[in-house]
Formats: sequence, structure tokens, C-alpha cells
Amino acid sequence: MKVTIERAELLKSLSHVHRVVERRNTIPILANVLVRAEKSALSLKATDLDLEVIESIAAEVAPAGSTTVPAHMFYEIVRKLPEGSQVVLESSSDRAVLAVRAGRSCFTLQTLPESDFPDLAAGDMTHKFTLAGADLRRLIDKTQFAISTEETRYYLNGIYLHVAGAGKEQSLRAVATDGHRLAQTDLPVPAGAAGMPGVIVPRKTVTEVQRLIEDSQAEVSIELSSAKIRFTIGNVVLTSKLIDGTFPDYQRVIPSGNDKELVVDKKDFEAAVDRVSTVSSERGRAVKLSLTGGKLTLSVTNPDSGSATEEIEVEYDSDPIDIGFNSRYLLDIAAQLDGEVAVLRLADPGSPTLIEDKDAKGSLYVLMPMRV
Amino acid sequence: MPVRQLSETLVNRIAAGEVVERPASVVKELVENALDAGAHRIEIATDGGGRRLIRVADDGSGMSSADLDLAVERHATSKLDGDDLLQISTLGFRGEALPSIGSVARLTITTRQAGQASGDHAWAITVDAGAKSEIKPAALSEGTRVEVKDLFYATPARLKFLKSDRSEAEAVREVVRRLAMSRPDVAFTLVSDERAPVTWPAALPGAPGRLARLADILGSDFRANSVEVGAERDGVVVEGYAGLPTHNRANSLGQYLFVNGRPVRDKLLIGVIRGAYADYLPRDRHPVVALFVTLPPREVDVNVHPAKTEVRFRDNTLVRSLLMHALKDGLARDAQRAASTGGSATIAAFRPAALPRRDNFDWRRSLSRPLPPRGALAAWSTAEPGFAEAAQSVFDVGSAAATARVEMAEPASDLLDRPLGAARAQVHDTYIVSQTRDGLVIVDQHAAHERLVYERMKAGLDQNGIARQILLIPDIVELDPADIERLLSRSEELKRFGLAIEPFGPGAIAVRETPSMLGEIDAAALARDLAEHLAEWDEALPLERRLMHVAATMACYGSVRAGRRLKPEEMNALLREMETTPNSGQCNHGRPTYVELKLTDIERLFGRR
Repeated sequence: MKVTIERAELLKSLSHVHRVVERRNTIPILANVLVRAEKSALSLKATDLDLEVIESIAAEVAPAGSTTVPAHMFYEIVRKLPEGSQVVLESSSDRAVLAVRAGRSCFTLQTLPESDFPDLAAGDMTHKFTLAGADLRRLIDKTQFAISTEETRYYLNGIYLHVAGAGKEQSLRAVATDGHRLAQTDLPVPAGAAGMPGVIVPRKTVTEVQRLIEDSQAEVSIELSSAKIRFTIGNVVLTSKLIDGTFPDYQRVIPSGNDKELVVDKKDFEAAVDRVSTVSSERGRAVKLSLTGGKLTLSVTNPDSGSATEEIEVEYDSDPIDIGFNSRYLLDIAAQLDGEVAVLRLADPGSPTLIEDKDAKGSLYVLMPMRV
Repeated sequence: MPVRQLSETLVNRIAAGEVVERPASVVKELVENALDAGAHRIEIATDGGGRRLIRVADDGSGMSSADLDLAVERHATSKLDGDDLLQISTLGFRGEALPSIGSVARLTITTRQAGQASGDHAWAITVDAGAKSEIKPAALSEGTRVEVKDLFYATPARLKFLKSDRSEAEAVREVVRRLAMSRPDVAFTLVSDERAPVTWPAALPGAPGRLARLADILGSDFRANSVEVGAERDGVVVEGYAGLPTHNRANSLGQYLFVNGRPVRDKLLIGVIRGAYADYLPRDRHPVVALFVTLPPREVDVNVHPAKTEVRFRDNTLVRSLLMHALKDGLARDAQRAASTGGSATIAAFRPAALPRRDNFDWRRSLSRPLPPRGALAAWSTAEPGFAEAAQSVFDVGSAAATARVEMAEPASDLLDRPLGAARAQVHDTYIVSQTRDGLVIVDQHAAHERLVYERMKAGLDQNGIARQILLIPDIVELDPADIERLLSRSEELKRFGLAIEPFGPGAIAVRETPSMLGEIDAAALARDLAEHLAEWDEALPLERRLMHVAATMACYGSVRAGRRLKPEEMNALLREMETTPNSGQCNHGRPTYVELKLTDIERLFGRR
């Protein structure tokens, strides 16, 4: 195998692919990236057995061939090569090593046989649809922060992607929750998605997809079955297993009868929460919201250091209420609100609160209060 | 095979299986008999770990010849008055020990009843593997002497299960130690072929005698490193001594509980001790504790186990809370003290620096060590070598001067009168050296400050309660109905720690709120953990431990690290705060935060004393 390729091209692809590779592995080949050269294209493939990324780039190939080399080391080498250089990859005749040459630098990397490289057998994909990059980014951005990190509730360790509602009201919906708060965002159902199974996309996959679409406006093609999902973004194909579990019936926890409506300027609210929470201790930072008339008083008391209060003018005409929230959760949600005005629908200090944008529909957040 | 009535001898041998398990249990039965007979002096001799010979001689009341004849019969005893098993004030009462021993060994009892005319003499009887001899006249000045030879020769199978002579002798020793602790007013002598004879002379009855006896048995360290504890409620009296947290061990063998003078092993005690020391000691270190519970005989059932090592209390909760109360109170009262063994071990690590060094001959070991220990210095031989080494490296004289900073000004004399004295220097940017009226104190600044921050945080939590995050989706935990019952009965207490639970149909509970300090947690695992712990120890320690662990971790980050230079004012402020903060004598891991060197110890190092 011999490949000649632009350094920048190779580096970009490697940076996508090597992130999938775990730093510590019990199976040696999982630390490697599969390098395959055929028909004037070089394809790179990495996997952690749950997630697989393949990216192909144009290159001069003569002759074709394939091998595997340590992913992180390969990436580091290419990263440190001088800008604008041409990289030559050449495997030795016995294919025991791969030589990486650029300018006057030469590296030889130990290889492992490509026949051992695991393949994430994709199986048949039952549904296929495309989403604009910006739409997919929205689905992920708005919900990702609420994904649970508690391993025992594995079925919450991802974003639940499904078609919700019936008839004309149908939408493609992403939901995530960690048991303390919930985030939900809707998109119109794209062609081909109708009837798709509800799937839980694991956190690592979500993060990788998010990075891949960061700077691309291209359409993303999504294929899925009840066990796997595949994202095709330009020349990158990311295939992932899904979380095998049942997402809880989240609709039950979204309150519908919260009649106390608080309308507040989002920026003011966010800044005020941030300000008063400065005095709270590192963990379990509770901020108390006291509402009377058209006035919201935010307060935090830390017996070790002091207290803080701030008043904001708001639209509120229901009965007075005192309610406590984890300030970090409030800030997380506020950061996701797009509009200038936020609406908080409250019931009582022991029941979930609904938070939405006043104008932009499509996303909603549920937050459970704290007892303080 | 037809059903038949078993012979008397066989019945006794079967009973012997329960009562007489090993030589130590024979010793226990015989010594208890001696104590019940009102002895003031008991001598125990064993040979071959008790396998060849056990002899227990006392100066008690003795028996008449008629009593002697009956004593070796099954279910014959002088200790039960009437038919009331609830009024037991003696150690024994079952009337099983002597016939059981007689059925598996060669038993000889020689006794002389006290208060008889001088013309009367002693009597002896022999039981050989269940065969009883005639009563013969014998010679003995007072009391009773029981000899058991060739134990288990009649039951070879049991003989095979005995451990080595050495470990059997050790078990005998342990039994005698326990009994001796319970009765400081009785003199004990233990003679065996394994060790030098030990004598514990009779001490005064009551607390001073008890402490003297405990010090005799547990080592003089215990006297210096324990606090007296006591509590009383509803006729139940708890007395005893609790070791300081810094005086800890790797196992729980140093924990003794006596109920009405009877040594018992009870899970209750272990649970209570765990709870009381949870804040001072890591899970794998155990304090040394001796507690004596006195309560009306009616309130306790001792007839639970043939060997009577277990008891049941009528009001378990009362005894439990009383023990807990006594321990916590005692510890809180004296919580600032750290073990003095640290200081003594440090002295052992000091070596005269100017002596020449010769590499291939390790004479320093014998010459420069302090003389064999006496009094306060006795600890060096028993102190953990690990600590001595660590201390030694701290005092490695070669480099000390380079990083030590000395506060030259004469300290205010009022500071010298404080328990932790006036800060004089910081060495290695880690240890504060301070001067007191009668010695010097070395403080580990990180350990000390960590504890201060932790105590402050804990006080804050106690005062303000723990904020609870309500769960959006309650966690449903399936549990055993008994576990559910236990958890729900403590739900108020759990709520105080930030965990709100409620019943959820049969066989499950719903966790509604969790401590927000813990962030996102596995509530199901926590509930299960709690249920198990409640079942075993009757307390909600796992949750408390988790919260305190978070607090401790935060305390660790929020405290002054080793390597940080402190100004004299800062050092003095730290010392003053340590003096006023409870439990500042040890860090969160049970290590001392400071050690004290008395002037006398320093003088001893230079041969001035």
C-alpha cells in the first residue's frame, strides 16, 4: 500500500476519527485506526465496539492496501507535521509496519492485521430520512445538557428520539432527562421518519455527532433500525448502537395544569440567578424565588458566608409563592432559551415547573424544585 | 432401627458438644463456677493448651460431700432458686457444665466447705468419661479445686478438631482476660506451659479498680488513651472506658461488652461502636472499648445460648441508645485529646545526631534507643512501626534546618498556658511547632485544618438541614417487605438527611427526594444499602457516611495544604481554633492532628533524667 495525501486533509479526518478511540483498551486492536486505500481514496475507520466512524478522503493511491495503526499516535504525528506538507503512507512488504513520511521526517508505526479489526455489523436499517444540519444541531443542543450521567439508570444515558403526537400534530421529538429536570424539543417530521421506532441515542454518540456537524451546514442523512443508528455527514459515516432499554413515560411528568404564570426577561433572569448564586456553596446551590405581585425576589443564603437578594420586575398576577431551585439547573435551562422573554409556569413548591420561550415554540423544559 | 432412649452418658456427651467446645469453654465454665462460689482468688493452670490438664483452684465457699455427689449429675445446680429463670444473678444456672465435662474427660473435684468445724476435711470425687467414682476423703485447706485431664479423650472426633496447643492456650487466655476484666476485685493467676505465668492482683471494686484491671489487661496504653464513659436511664447503667479514636486497631477484637458482669459478644455493641466512632475513624479501623452494662436481671434473657455468650435485652432500643449516648458523650467531652503514643513513638525515633556512623555494624540500634520503657514511655514498644518510621523521616536532622522557619520573638506568656501553646516555628512548611509550659506540640497543619473545616461544615449541615432535590421521576425501589417496614419506620430520620421515601404498593418504596449535595445518585442502590444496614445495625449510617464523605472531600479541598507557608499569626490562630473545636485531635482518617512531647521526655532523650 502506498498513499500520498495532503496533511491538512488527513489531519481533519483523523481528528474526527481518533476521538472515538478510547484511551485505555483491553483489546489492543481497539486502540488502532483502520487505514484502507483503494481507488484514489483513503478511508479511516475507528470503533469502540458501540460506535464506529468511517471517513474517506481523496488521495493518490498506488498500490491499494489496508492496515491498522495506533490511532492517537498517528493523530499526534500528523498534527505535528509541518503545515502544507504532503504525507506519504507506505506499508512494508511484510505489512508489519507502516511508514509515515513528510518532508524530512519519517516514522514507522507498528501495525496489527486489519483482518482482526472489528466490524459493527449494521444490519438492515428500516427507516431513512434527512435533516438539515442546523435542525439536528438544535435537537441535540437543546436536550443534551439534561442527559443523565448515572450509569445505573442506563436508559436515561441518552437522547430519546421518536415521533410524538398523532395525525397533523406529529413531530420528531428529542427528550432527555436525569430525573431532576427534563428537556424536550420538536421538529416537523421529515419524510421517511413516520413510523420509526423510538430510539435512545447514547451520550457519546450524541457528542460525536454534535462535533461533526459543528461547522457544517450540509444535510445529514439518518438511517435507523431498532438497534442501530447511522448518521452520514458529508464523507463521514457514523454508526452507533442504541441503548437497549425503555425510556420512561416522560409525558406524565410534564405538567399541564400549572396556572401560575411568570413572564420574565430571560437575560435579566439569567444574570440575576448567576449573581445571587455567587454566595452559595459549591454543591446543592439552592436559589429561592419569591413571587408577589409584579415582583420576583431571588435569594440565596449561605450560613458560612452570607446572603444575596435581587429583585426583578416581572409579569405575575397569581397568588404569592416561594419556591427553591438548584441554581445550576436554572442557568442550564436559561442558556438554552432562544427568545428574549421566558415563561415559567408554576404550581406549588413541591411540583414540577414548566419553562418555555414565550414566542419560539418547539422546546420546553421541566424542572423539579428543591426543598430548602 | 428401633427407637430407643439414649443412655445418660451419651446424652451428656451430646450436651458437651454445645457447652464444651474447646478447652477455653471448660475454663470459662469452671472459672464462672468459682466466681459464683464467691472466690477472691482464682488460679488457672493449663498444660498442652488445656488438652492435657486444666486446673482451676479457688478460695470460694466449697461444697459438702452430699452436694459434691449431686454436682456432677445432669441438671443439678445450687444456683437457681425456685423455678424462676428470669431472676438470674449468677453466671451459671443450667447445671450442665460439670456432667458435660465429666462425660468427655477425666474430671476430679476436690472441695472443702467453708465454715465447717476444724475436724471436718475435704472430699473428692472423680468422673471418668461419665463413670462416677465414690466420694473419698481428701486434703484441701479451703475452696474447690477442679482438675480436668485428657479433655475429649472419650470423644476422639472432637479431639481432632482442636487447633494447635498454642492457639488453644491463647483462647484460654482470652477467656480468662474477659472474666478478669469483669471482676477487678478477684485476683487471677494464669499458669500455662506456653507463656510466663500472669497474675492480676485483686484491685479495688468500682471505677478505679476497674481501670487498673483494664490497664493490666489491655496494656497501660489504654489507661492513657481512654475516656471514662457512663450513662444511666430506667435502671439501666452503662459504665466503662472508651479508647480515643487515635488509639485504634485493625480489628474489633479489642471491644468488650459485659452485661451484669457476664462477658458477651453481641452485634449490638459492634453496631453501636461503629455508629459512635463513624465520624472519627475510617471503616477499617476499630477502637478499643470496654463497656459494662448493669440492669435488673428481669430485663435481660441470658438463656439464649448454652455457652451464654449471647444475651437478649427486653428493651433493645434503650440499651442501644444508652450505649451510644455514653460513648458519644465521652468522646465529645475529651475529643480534643489525641493519643499520646504518637509522642512516645516519636521519642523512640529520635537518635543522637552526632554519633559516628559505621556502615556494617548496626550498633546504633542497641545503643541509641532509649532505655527499656517505663511509665509514659512504655508505648514505644507497642506503637505501630509505620508511624515511628514516618515520624523519623520528619525528624531526619540533615535537612531540617533548610526549611524550618523560626519565630524569634518571645511569645506572649498567656499563649504558653494554652493547651496547644504558642507557635514558635513551621518546619518543612508542613508542621507547626509550638511551645507549651511543659513541653512542645507538633501540629500537622493540613490534617488539623481539614478537620476544622469539616467540623464547621458538619455544624452547618446540622443547623440548616440538608437541601433536598425533588425527583421528577420518583425512583421505585423493590424491596423485601421487612426492609420496607424498617426504612419507613425511620423515614423521619432519613428525611433529615435529605432522603424522602414513601410506600409504593406492596414490596416497593418510592424515593421522592434526594440530598442535593450528592447530585445525581443511584437512589435504588442507596435505599438497598440503607435497608441492609438498618437490618444489621439498626442505624442509617450509609447515608450519613455518604454525606459526610462529600463534606470531607470538600473539606480536604478547602483546607490549607502541606507546603503552604504560614505566618506566626496564622499558626497561632489555627492552634486557638483547634482548642475550641470539638474532635480536633484527629483528622478524618483517625490519625492524630498533633503530637505532644513533654519536657520530661525531651530531658530523658538527653539523659538528664
